Amino acid sequence: MGLLDETVSVPRRTMTLFFLIDTSGSMEGNKIGAVNDAVANVLPMLDDISESNPDAEIKVAALEFSSGCTWLYDEPKLAKDFIWQDVVAGGLTSLGQACQELSAKLSRSGFMQAASGSFAPAIILLSDGGPTDDYQSGLRKLKDNNWFKAAIKIAIAIGDDADKDVLKDFTGSSEAVIPVHNIEALKQIIRVVAVTSSQIGSKSSTAGDTTKQEQVIKDVQDAAKDIDGAEPADSTSVNNVDSSQYIDDWG
Amino acid sequence: MELKVNDKVNLTIGTTATVKKVLGSGGQGTVYLVDLAGQEMALKWYHTSPGDAFYKNLEHNVNAKAPSDAFIWPEYLTVKEKGSYGYIMRLRPNDYFEFGNYLLAKKSFKSFDAMLAAAMKICDGFMKLHLHGYSYQDLNDGNFFIRPTDGDVLICDNDNVMPQGEKSGIMGKARYMAPEIVAGGKPDKYSDRFSLSVILFMLFYANHPFEGAKVVACPCMTEKYEKSFYGSDALFIFNPNDKSNLPVRGVHQNVIRRWPVFPSLLKDTFIEEFSEDKLKNPQKRIIEQAWQKIITQVRDELVVCPHCHEETFLDLKAGSHKCINCGKDIDVSRQLKINNRNLILTPGTKLYIDNDNIPDGEVGVFPNDDKLCIVRNLTNSSWHVDTPSGKVKVVEPNDFMPVLNGLKISFGSSIKGAPGAKGEILA
Repeated sequence: MGLLDETVSVPRRTMTLFFLIDTSGSMEGNKIGAVNDAVANVLPMLDDISESNPDAEIKVAALEFSSGCTWLYDEPKLAKDFIWQDVVAGGLTSLGQACQELSAKLSRSGFMQAASGSFAPAIILLSDGGPTDDYQSGLRKLKDNNWFKAAIKIAIAIGDDADKDVLKDFTGSSEAVIPVHNIEALKQIIRVVAVTSSQIGSKSSTAGDTTKQEQVIKDVQDAAKDIDGAEPADSTSVNNVDSSQYIDDWG
Repeated sequence: MELKVNDKVNLTIGTTATVKKVLGSGGQGTVYLVDLAGQEMALKWYHTSPGDAFYKNLEHNVNAKAPSDAFIWPEYLTVKEKGSYGYIMRLRPNDYFEFGNYLLAKKSFKSFDAMLAAAMKICDGFMKLHLHGYSYQDLNDGNFFIRPTDGDVLICDNDNVMPQGEKSGIMGKARYMAPEIVAGGKPDKYSDRFSLSVILFMLFYANHPFEGAKVVACPCMTEKYEKSFYGSDALFIFNPNDKSNLPVRGVHQNVIRRWPVFPSLLKDTFIEEFSEDKLKNPQKRIIEQAWQKIITQVRDELVVCPHCHEETFLDLKAGSHKCINCGKDIDVSRQLKINNRNLILTPGTKLYIDNDNIPDGEVGVFPNDDKLCIVRNLTNSSWHVDTPSGKVKVVEPNDFMPVLNGLKISFGSSIKGAPGAKGEILA
């Protein structure tokens, strides 16, 4: 029965999940520890999603930025091959430089060279402070990048000092900025954001008008409600809530 | 909210089910193994309540019962509690695998016989679903579980099933949705039929019908491009009038290998179903019964090669009698004619007369004369055979009859899906 034995896997697109991690001095201690722990633990989950997904395989890339910025690997890797090396905190917050670096890699000559094409990437930005460099020129450049425009973009604002306006500027909307106020919430939100954006980003889109970005935001916000110390960023006003849900809340 | 082990959920019928462990989690909800009065069942519990209308529909489906045994149907509903709700269904046996596993080449059909059985069963399921007035709405590679040995199919995620004309609010995946749904339309039985053709194509050819050169050339499949490639500008890879989206060597290997091998009837049907005309005119799409007839005819041309003993497709219409494996000519002179069907008889070939995927007969050779072919009665009732000289012979279950020209068979009540069927041997 030769022919059936020769069956090969359908060609899959690649969805790259980017972690942009603030490793400035203020992240030292619990925060950076929680980030290291959460990302290392989410990688096997991403591998599971990738392995059973006929639409796309998932690759991971991670950029840490402090006084400068460094890629953890010089190419996107399958989650199962991405061995997480703990990142260490220290130095400034060069978000502008990180944006420039990301923009350079979001190109077919950079990280986006998958043979059978890609889905738009998902980009997760984690930060606990404000940029110390000229982030605006870097971000402006990034915003002109077509891969970035199409990407799912979520930011996790760690603690009260995180500059939410900058994160909003990066993601394009305040709903895409998820504030967390304790270490446990940080870990859980990293998991939820990474898993949700991978699940949605690596699947063929749903018919209809909801974008992948909107779906990710909705699912993450829903999950954030159940996590102590995480808040749905701009708490949705009553006007946006389905009345049956509203009645249930009050019932 | 997620449930924990030993949590109890209350069913509307007044009993409770106890959570034993997590079986899997998806975008909409988590599936748990639960104990219901000593019986192991599955509970799908939604992450967040999908709302009251969705609940009402589930309630309706629970009361209405499954359209056929292929459906893992909602059997009991929980009350609304803990901020959400869920429903109970039977467990999926672990020798069934998600269709996606076949696409990823992690699982493969044991035989073409099993592959055709799967196609037939999927058509049968959707025919019965539509017959009951439902539409499925979200047909995609994650909804089917198939047993590789015999092609038996289980259809899951039946919480989206809605009466015709209503919308579950759960939108399907672009690669499987009809162009009019990708453009924002309402799913119905016509869009289900499009999805069915996509699923069947992928089942037979293990590649997507619209993914060829054009799609490969797209570096970043954004939502905008998906709407174009699977919606407004969908172009079948073998569209005879536009060859700009042909499959690409090295990328779409499966369809390149298999397309020439299956009978031309199947190719012609897909060319027709994925033509501009059918893409734009949902009402013209082929109905499930017509698909079943086509699959039946394809199965009539699936035989065991007498030379290499592998399965092969013949293509009488195209005049091809060569084995796809060893290339040798196959004698097609022995046939069982039933109405307008011609089942080719070679030793080892199974005969399917109705659509239930249970073989009704099997061709073999006479115990001490391998030149004489026989047909064994695999049904539970006897067949009556009129010989050319006017005698009447009875072929009891598990007994056999010779393949001799002019024998006329009355299958009587032996074929459940085709009572009173009659056939004649040509040899």
